[in-house]
Amino acid sequence: MRSTAPQVEMDAESRERFEEQALPHLESLYRLALRLTGAAATAEDLVQETYLRALRRFSTLRDPGRMKPWLCQILSRLAIDRHRSARREVPLPAPEELDRFSLYDLIWEEDPLPYSDRLHDDFLAQFPDEEVRAALLALPEAYRVPLVLLYTEELSYRELAEILGCPVGTVMSRLHRGRKILERELWDYAIRQGWVRTWKAES
Amino acid sequence: MGLRHSAGMGEDMESRKLSCTQAVQQFFVYLDNALKGDDVADLEAHLEACLDCCERLEFSRKLDALVRTRLAGASLPEGIEQRIRRTLAG
Repeated sequence: MRSTAPQVEMDAESRERFEEQALPHLESLYRLALRLTGAAATAEDLVQETYLRALRRFSTLRDPGRMKPWLCQILSRLAIDRHRSARREVPLPAPEELDRFSLYDLIWEEDPLPYSDRLHDDFLAQFPDEEVRAALLALPEAYRVPLVLLYTEELSYRELAEILGCPVGTVMSRLHRGRKILERELWDYAIRQGWVRTWKAES
Repeated sequence: MGLRHSAGMGEDMESRKLSCTQAVQQFFVYLDNALKGDDVADLEAHLEACLDCCERLEFSRKLDALVRTRLAGASLPEGIEQRIRRTLAG
C-alpha cells in the first residue's frame, strides 16, 4: 500500500473473522473502485484503504449481513474525500438547462446518421467502451458515486441513501441529474467525433 | 424505437392522468424499479397510449443498459487478495 497506515491492534481470531466476512466482497469492491477512479493502481489503493479502515472499525458493525453495503459505504466516502481533485470534471450547466437537455431529441433533430432506420440504436452503438467509461468519470463525484453504485451494485434508492448518508430524495435528484450530465457528455463526444455536422453543433 | 417520425411530445394528453412531460420525468425512477403503486399504473397507462413516450423510455432503457454493460466485468489484478491480507496482518 502506498499510503502509510497505522497498525491495527486486533487479536488473530477477530482478524480472521473479518477476513472471512469481508474478503468475499473483494471483486465487487475492486470493480466499484475501478469505475470510480478509472485507474487500476488507484483502485487497488482505494480497496486496500477500505479494508484497513473497515478492519479498524469492525467492532462497530452489528449485523454481519450488512458487510457489503458497509464496505461500499467506506469505499465511496474514501473515494469522495481522497480522489476529489484528481480528475477533469465537467462544468455544470444550470439545473433548468440540464432538465431541458434531451439526448433523444437532439438525435432526432440533428440526425447524425441520415441513412439509419434505427437512428437511436445506431447512435448508441457507435460509442467505444472506453468513451462511455470516460464520460462517467468526468461527472462530479456527487453524481458519479451514486450512478456507479447503482449501475455496478444494483442497489435500491434506500440502500444508496444509507451508503451515501443522505435522504432518498437527494439520491433521486443526483441520479436524475447525473444521467442528464452523462447524456450531455455523450453528445459532446459525438460532436468532437464529427458525427454531428450541422451549425447547431457549434453553438 | 426504429420507425422515423417527428420529434417532440405533440400528442394531447389532457384526457390522461399524466402529461408527456410528467411521464418522461418519471422514467429513470421507473427504470430503477423505484416507482410504486398508483404511480406505476399511471405511467404504464400513459405508455399504453403514447408511442412517443414508449420510444423515449426504450431509448433511456438502452442507454442505461449500455452504461451498465460498459461498467461490468473488471478482472482482479493478480495477487491483490494476498496484498490485502498482508496489509491487514500489519
